[in-house]
Amino acid sequence: MKRSLQSMTAIVAAMSALGAGAAAAQTAVADPAAPVEYEGTIKVLTKFGMQRLAPYFTELAQEYEAQHPGVTIELIQEDDDSVKGKTKTLVASNSIPDVFFSWTGTWGGNFIRGERAVDLTPVIGPDTEWGKTFAPAAVDAFVYDGKHYGIPLYLDAKFMGYSKPIFEKLGLSVPETLEDMLAACDTIKEAGITPISIGNKEPWVAVHYLGQLLAYNVPKDVLERDFDPATAEYADPGYVASLEQFKAIADRCTIGAGMNGISYQNALQELSDGKSAMYYQEIIEFDNSASAKTKLKPEEFGFFPLPAPKDAKGDPKALEGAPEGYMISSASENVPLALDFMKFVTSQANAKVLSAPPYGQPSAVIGGADPAQMSPAVVGGLEDIAEASYLMQWLDTVNHPRVAAAWLSNLQAFAGGSVTAEEVVAEVRAAAAAAK
Amino acid sequence: MSLSADIGKSGVALGGPALGAGRGPRLRPLLSRLLALRWIAVALVLVGWFVYYPIVDNFFVSTTNQDIFTGEVTQVGLDNYRRLAEDPVVGRALWNNGAYAVLSIVFQVFAAFCLAAIVEGLSSERWRNFWRALYFVPSAISTTVTGLLFYFIYQPDIGILDGLLKALNLEHWSHVWLGDPQTAIYAIIAMSQWQGFGYSTLLFTIAIQKIPQELYDAARMDGAGPLRQLWSITFPLTREMTGMMIIVTVTGAFQVFNEVMVMTGGGPNNSSQVLGTWLYEQGFNQNDMGYAAAIGSVVFAVTMLTGILQLWYTRRRRVLA
Repeated sequence: MKRSLQSMTAIVAAMSALGAGAAAAQTAVADPAAPVEYEGTIKVLTKFGMQRLAPYFTELAQEYEAQHPGVTIELIQEDDDSVKGKTKTLVASNSIPDVFFSWTGTWGGNFIRGERAVDLTPVIGPDTEWGKTFAPAAVDAFVYDGKHYGIPLYLDAKFMGYSKPIFEKLGLSVPETLEDMLAACDTIKEAGITPISIGNKEPWVAVHYLGQLLAYNVPKDVLERDFDPATAEYADPGYVASLEQFKAIADRCTIGAGMNGISYQNALQELSDGKSAMYYQEIIEFDNSASAKTKLKPEEFGFFPLPAPKDAKGDPKALEGAPEGYMISSASENVPLALDFMKFVTSQANAKVLSAPPYGQPSAVIGGADPAQMSPAVVGGLEDIAEASYLMQWLDTVNHPRVAAAWLSNLQAFAGGSVTAEEVVAEVRAAAAAAK
Repeated sequence: MSLSADIGKSGVALGGPALGAGRGPRLRPLLSRLLALRWIAVALVLVGWFVYYPIVDNFFVSTTNQDIFTGEVTQVGLDNYRRLAEDPVVGRALWNNGAYAVLSIVFQVFAAFCLAAIVEGLSSERWRNFWRALYFVPSAISTTVTGLLFYFIYQPDIGILDGLLKALNLEHWSHVWLGDPQTAIYAIIAMSQWQGFGYSTLLFTIAIQKIPQELYDAARMDGAGPLRQLWSITFPLTREMTGMMIIVTVTGAFQVFNEVMVMTGGGPNNSSQVLGTWLYEQGFNQNDMGYAAAIGSVVFAVTMLTGILQLWYTRRRRVLA
């Protein structure tokens, strides 16, 4: 306990000293003609640290090493929460791995701003051989200043997963509007079942609800303007409306303020155990919610996009989500080998493995999602993603860190009932002003 | 001290006969002392580099704004300290660290002392060993594991604590312990006391065992009862241990990190933030290393002040004795 803080303070000082002394790496551009030398070590930072996902990269690394005996793939596997801190620690100490995970939006933009990522346009751009193997929207999500920096691995979006047996037992159908869903919650609650399990101990959970509601209530151009602290106003009435809608969901569908004391993983487990009727989740969690090992079986699992309110002023066809992928470090001493490994990872055969259970991560590779091998729910989710008018990026990665922190902490307070919707928006507006 | 004095007297140790030859008597001890430094030079360099340099550097970092992605550094003087003074979360964190310190002193110092005295007062050696072991077991579990354990104990509806309250017909007391801003930090502190209590008890047990039995025998012959013996013998003769435990407890309370990170992450709405978690949030999540370093300086100042006060107190007690 004590040592960890002492160490952390020392790390802050040491990392800052290193950061101060060392200039950021120069922008590097991938050369498609560069020969691959199958020798040396490639370090890879993944977001597949969870027990269910870890074998994917572990097995691929072993397979690649077997094909190329002179190569060692060193994996650093983190989970959704820890990868953020790990990445920043590695960046600050100028030891970022050759290949590293990245979200789209501001998160990925940080690496471009700091010239930490290789410009991959010559190898993954729209007219390149490798680039043509990906869904264009997925590759384009990693475009910054007209250049391609990311290798998309899978597509992700948020849906409301539900238990078909509970819905059938109570005579409920898939809600068309937010008002329908709230009415369904009342029915489920009367039956003594938790309508929606939610764990907001990790505060991004409520932020994900709000992200989708903002896409419904605030016009896209206004959102994009407000995401940039330089032009942010947060004056649109859709912000307060979205918060009030979230409050209605919290009050009528969940355990309310108690959500702040529950982990999202426990909440997900409640749906899997048949103790709740719904859980708002990412498509990459579908195969975790319902599997042969859970009480809720895959055929009993259904999903629908969080329904839009009737009079939504934004875009009711928008869907919250974004592809997630990897970048190549500009400090890498063996960029061609790192790219070769990622080409191997994103081959059609390996993409199909990624899309199928137990991983259930719908690949961004064209033809990499084989419906015959995948869960029907994941296939259906992919169709919804394709039909969405646009993908609303995660609020906590698209915003400036200070603005994201304001959303995270204030929404937790809002869920706990200690602040009003207007106060939340005011705090976010203040954070954006401070971030200018 | 004695080594350098001996070297100075002989003029032959380490440096050989030529060491002081032809030099003045004042220069000889100085040279000898400088030569003696080589024996601790490695340790000095290591301590300097890994302990003192980061402390000094941390202060310089706190006068800058740094962007870890670009490596850009901007000098901002004392702006981060001004911002720190106006940051309501820092105030909250200081309060939480303070509450941590006060409650830890109550439970891990005074209550642990009383328990140690009671356990050592037992006549059966077997029972003494049993209670010592029983109280020490929680300390053998890592903080992270304990944090997760108590996270489940505190779970609303399905947690053991709420289940116990329901079983005792005290359902109205059940609570979202970690999800309520009013109770979150105290739920964490309670867990920490559960874990640290046995360790403190063991240390007091060792201190009590060092007290000569003859003192208790003499007190008994003079008609002193158990409470009188506790107050007049045990308490004064464990004063140094008590002082040390207070400084360790207070310093630890201002460096607490793991349990908060595991159980609440500083939430809800920053209500359970302590200086350590707020430092982490600023440095590693908000990319604000300069401000994080300023928070680190506050932690250093508080723990340093505690150490100085304790040294002063201990020295004063020795003089009085």
